[in-house]
This record gives sequence, C-alpha cells and structure tokens, in this order.
Amino acid sequence: MMQAGETLSKALNRLGFYTLMYPEYPSRIRGGDNHIQVVFSSGKFIAPFEKIDLLLAFGRENYERHSKEQEGSKRTGGQGKFEAGEVGLNKIAEELGNPLVLNTAGLGFIWKVLGFEIKILKEQLSEDFADKEEIKALNIKAAEMGYEKGSTSPHLTWFCGVNKQIVNLTGNEALVEGILKAECDFVGIYPMTPVNEILRLLAKTKIKLFRPEDEIAGINAAIGAAFAGGRAMVATSGGGFALMTEALGMAGMAEVPAVIVLGQRTGPSTGMATFSSQADLNFAISAGQGEFPRIILAPGDLEEAYRLGAEAFNLAEQYQVPVILLTDKYLAESRFSTLKENFDQIKIIIDKGKLFKGNKGDKGYRRYELTADGISPRAFPGETTFLTNSYEHDESGFSSDDAENREKMMAKRMGKLKNLEEGFGGFEIFEGKKGWGKGTTLVGWGSTKEIILDALKEFPEFNFIHFWRLWPFPQKAKEILTKAKNLVVIEGNFSGQLADLIEKETGLKSQRILKDNGRPFFKEELTAWMKKI
Amino acid sequence: MDEKDLNTKVQPTWCSGCGAYGFLTAMKKAIAQSNLAPKDVVVTYDIGCAANMINFFNVCGFATLHGRSIPVAVGVKMTNPSLTVIAQGGEGGIVTEGANHLIHAAQRNDDITVIINNNYVFGLTTGQASAATPKGLKTSSTPEGNPFEALCAVDLVAVSGGTFVARTAASEIEKTTEIIKKAIAHKGFSLVEILHPCVIWTKGVKIPEGTWTEKPFADYKEFLGKENLFGVLFNE
Repeated sequence: MMQAGETLSKALNRLGFYTLMYPEYPSRIRGGDNHIQVVFSSGKFIAPFEKIDLLLAFGRENYERHSKEQEGSKRTGGQGKFEAGEVGLNKIAEELGNPLVLNTAGLGFIWKVLGFEIKILKEQLSEDFADKEEIKALNIKAAEMGYEKGSTSPHLTWFCGVNKQIVNLTGNEALVEGILKAECDFVGIYPMTPVNEILRLLAKTKIKLFRPEDEIAGINAAIGAAFAGGRAMVATSGGGFALMTEALGMAGMAEVPAVIVLGQRTGPSTGMATFSSQADLNFAISAGQGEFPRIILAPGDLEEAYRLGAEAFNLAEQYQVPVILLTDKYLAESRFSTLKENFDQIKIIIDKGKLFKGNKGDKGYRRYELTADGISPRAFPGETTFLTNSYEHDESGFSSDDAENREKMMAKRMGKLKNLEEGFGGFEIFEGKKGWGKGTTLVGWGSTKEIILDALKEFPEFNFIHFWRLWPFPQKAKEILTKAKNLVVIEGNFSGQLADLIEKETGLKSQRILKDNGRPFFKEELTAWMKKI
Repeated sequence: MDEKDLNTKVQPTWCSGCGAYGFLTAMKKAIAQSNLAPKDVVVTYDIGCAANMINFFNVCGFATLHGRSIPVAVGVKMTNPSLTVIAQGGEGGIVTEGANHLIHAAQRNDDITVIINNNYVFGLTTGQASAATPKGLKTSSTPEGNPFEALCAVDLVAVSGGTFVARTAASEIEKTTEIIKKAIAHKGFSLVEILHPCVIWTKGVKIPEGTWTEKPFADYKEFLGKENLFGVLFNE
C-alpha cells in the first residue's frame, strides 16, 4: 500500500503537481484498516483532509468504512466511490496470476478516472521497478488493464502544475539525506515506529550500524562512538527515549556529543503505536536527572528535516551536548514534495567544533579545561591519554565532590549554549497582509508547518510563527511574540505544551487549538477553528 | 613501557585489604607487558567500588553509568577498532543491572574484554545481595539468608557465545596478569571474572578451593556450573 502511494504521488509530481501522501495503518504486519490518502495541488503546502474526492477501497468492509469521507464531494459528486472487486480489479490480479499487482491495477484505474495519460504512470512504474525486469513488465500490464476499467465519468479537469523538478520524500527520507550529508559514522537503532525507515535506509550505507539489545545499549554505544571520535546518533520513539534518559544525562555531564532522533507517536505507554503526536516536547526538555544543557530541534518540512538532520551533528560537536531532533509519525512517514531547487540550495558545512591540537605545557591535555566560552577542545583515544567522566569531575576529568569545583563546572556546562543565539535561528515568520502585531498570530512547531500554511491560504490576514528550535527557547522570539496580538497556539497534544513553554518564557497567555487523537490536523477542522477565532 | 606510567596523581581510596589493589596491579602489569601505549587503551568503567579505578589508572578512562560499561565499549570499538577496549564492572553492574548487555555482547562476539570484579555484593550501597551473591548468605537485604542460587557470569557468557572465558582471584596477581594479557590479545569477546570477596560486607565468603586449569576446555559443557575452576576455561 505504501509503495502504491509512493508511485501515485511521484507520477503526479511528473505532471508538475505537489503531493502529500498520508498513511494510516494499525500495529500489525498484514491487513486491517490500512489506507493512504493522496492529495495533490498545483500550489505548495498541502494539509491532509477529512473529506476526499475519490475512494478506491479494497474489499466491501473498507468501502463501507470510508464511504462517508467521500460523501459531499463537489468535484466528483456521487461518482467518486469504487470497490476494487466490483470494478473488475481483482480479476486482473487473478488473470496475471499475482495478487501483489492488485494495487498497481488500482493505480491504473485511478489514473484513468483522474483523466491523465497512462504514459506518465508507466514511466513512474518503470522507475520504481527499474532493477526487476519481469516484475516491471507485470506491473505495467496490470496498470494498463486497470486503466481500461477506469470510468470516464466524473469528467475531471485540472490546472496545470509547475514546470520544475519536484522531489518526493518522506520526512524520514529527508532526515536520512541530512544524516548522510553530515557524514555520520555510527548509528544505534532499536526498531520502533515511526523511525524504522531510518534504520532500513542507513543499513544500506557504509555507516556503522548497531542494532542493539535495547535502547539503553543503543545510546550508550553512540556515546562510546562519539567519545572515540565518530559522529554518532540514535533514533527512537517516546518509549525508547524513556529508556535512554539516564545516558542522555551522561552525554550532558561527560560532554560527549549525541544526536537523538525522537519520532513522537501517541502515548503514554504503548499508546497508539502507529499514530502521530506532539506530546513529547515537555519530556524532551526535561528528561534526565539534574540539570544539563541540550538542544531540541523540530523540523516541519522536507527542507528542515534535511537541514536540521545535518546541522544536529554540527551543533552536538560544537557545543558537546545532546541534540534531540523531534519528529513525529505524521512527518516521518508521510510523503511530501518540494522543488528540487529548494533542496539543492541548502548548504551544509561540516564543523566538528574545538579539537585537541597536541599537548602543550607541563599540565598536558585537560579534557574539561575551563575556557571563556565553556567549551573545551575534544581529544580522542589514540591521540592522547585523558579521562571522560559521568561523575562530577575536575578539569582533568578526575572525579570530584569539591564544592568550589562543582560550582565552576556547572557554570561551564550550563553556560555553553550562550553563543547559540548568534547566527543560528530557531523560527520562521510568515507575516499576514495587515502586518505583524495586527490581528491574529498563529503559533506552531514541527510537523504542523505545512498544514498551517495550507490553511492560511484562506486567511491571508493571519500572521504565523513556526518554531523549529524549541530549546533553548529562541531569545529573539520573545520580542517578536510580545509584539504580536492574539496568540493562537496550534499543537498536537492534550495540554498545549508549546503554549505553556511560551507562557513560562514570556509571560504571554495564548489561545490553544489542540488535537490529540493520533491524527494530524485536517484542513477542514483547522479552518473551521480559525473561522471562530 | 614502565608500569609507573600507568599511575595517576590520585591515591586509591579502597579499603585496606581490598582485592581491587591486586586487580589494579595486575591491570598495570598486563598493559605494560603487552606494550600498549596508555593513549591506545580505553577502559569503560561501571559505577561501583572497583570502578573508582578510573582515577588511579592512567589510560583513556571513561566512567559510564551503572550497568552500561559494555555498550559504551562496543561503540568505542566499532568506531576505532585499533584501540584496545576493556569494559570493567562489578557483578552488580555487569551480572545484575546490565546483564542484558553481557549476554548480547557475548552473543555478537564483540571484540572487547569484559572484566568483572566479583565481590558477591553491592558494596558502595552498604552490602545488599546482588544476582551473584551465594545462596544462603546473610546480607543487609537478605537478613534471613539469600534465597536464590547465584547467577554465574562464566556460565552465562559461555552459553551465550563468548569465545574467551576465564576466572581468577585478585590475590593471584601474576596469574591474573597473564589472564588479562591473554584476554586483551584475544580476537572476539573475552570475559575475565576476578573474585575478591568484600573485606567489609562479604568477608565471611571464602573463594572456593579451586583447580587452576592448565589448558582451556574444548567444550564449555565441561566447566558449566563448576565454581571451583580457575584459569582460562575456554578459548576458541
């Protein structure tokens, strides 16, 4: 099903349309209510919808379950609902002797209903199955046969899309592009939805991949790898991150860089394992005993997933802190599209921060040397002898309970991020027609970015501020939020965790639009809420 | 290389008579005699009495978390295979809190050396029974006597797939030195269990009167369940 959605959205990209593919599936390997929604538009920024124009269901049960979503469609009226068996698609699969081509026959069928030329779909299928000649031929045949079954009513017409190259990626795929760009050396991932795709993709690369016995081993090994000089990361969801919290503190205390991808899903506990959430912000900010510096980034689209996926490694090494990349199931596993040129213009320069440059003086190298900016050059085993310590320690790394030393070391660590504000942003502003400070200002973070931007097409007077760095909370945002009127925070959790954070940081109260049922904000419900503001 | 190069400015803080002194001496001898430069040796330490050795042993030391010295060592070795990587811990850290890591590192045959300082008890936290405390022993958490059979690290590692398994007593400094040298030279997962009953909490426990093996057993089934066997028990 995921493959069919990928083929369909990429074929639509070939016509110049932007696409969104949003999958929903239960926590089981085969079967169940497993569906994808594909939305396409000639304009960028696409939100998922509650209502659809076209339904192709496999099986009567699924047809009944989703029929209501199609009802009331202005574009297709009562003619946009189909059940695969009833329109003859099952027969195609039987005829071709392979049940797996049923989805492809379905794609051919939909393609005909949409009124597009079969040639484009065939081109896409040829690309998707490029390395498997027999399977390619079979799928193209299935698509052609499905296409023939497709009805020509409703008759649909489309505005042309853009005449530029479009890239189509899931959030996880874009993140992996960033991880590769950053020249990551070591990855420790215990499988968990929604980050499994990161493990699968990185397993095909030369990066040293550790599938640990548990998430505790994963992050401890990543810390060992970074201590030994590698660029190291882990990826997990809330449950795995809960197991990692003690080691997170060790990375903070021992000043070892660590990149942690935290793909949020619906909690608490096992929750709804294959559904989305933005409820781990508070957890990410406060995880671990004691106080230590950390950076929390939350990409909102493909460009940010790529850029922050790479920059996380730079930040972790420059400041010698854990960096948490907060994604969620919606961003991680949905397919988005953007112009290739937007992607290509993102420049990443690898910066490993301050490094040991040979022993000098009598004192020799001190791993935790006190410096003006609190950051001590890193050495690696094999270069010189030194101590790394999860106990409180002195400049040389020896364990220490000394009160005066403790105060100096806490000040060193907690002051390390003060230079982060210089040059490295944390949010993006979309000014409404009336200008900043006039009318309503929407506030969002992470994966709601495109959804809110889509909804804003109907509310051009609204302002919008999107946060991609949550911690340390961007100082410049404080001024900007203070100037804004009528803050409305939109987030996918029960209590309004960003709204609380803003109140704590600025004293500003805001309205909250919250959703916590595992699904992303749908365009209709978001615009309905916005009308009420 | 001189053993003295492996000293730090810090004096050991262990109780007088503690087996950790013998262990530290054997470690210094083993590293010096193996001609390893301190900068090329990484020891990842657990949390516990013997782990305080980070402050007394001049190599690239990393004091990790309780139970987690093994996964940190695995990450170090995967990233820089030219380093000699040793994970240290007491039986509290390695056989109790972090036993999962011991089993899996042995299963994968990770190329690291794990050294367990087995004093049969949680020492720093005032003498509670661990997973390796002998059955019947009265401790602060088992005032009526420990009701459980002790979990044996040697057996666990052998059946999990470790390819070098040894047991020694800290008081036998020369033998311990030789065993550590062999363990760090071994390609693949190596375990050295070092027995030294705690002089405060388990001083009544006697190290079993044992037989030192002349050569390793060909099959681990020959030493499973036998606490009185010492030396290199298995070397695949």
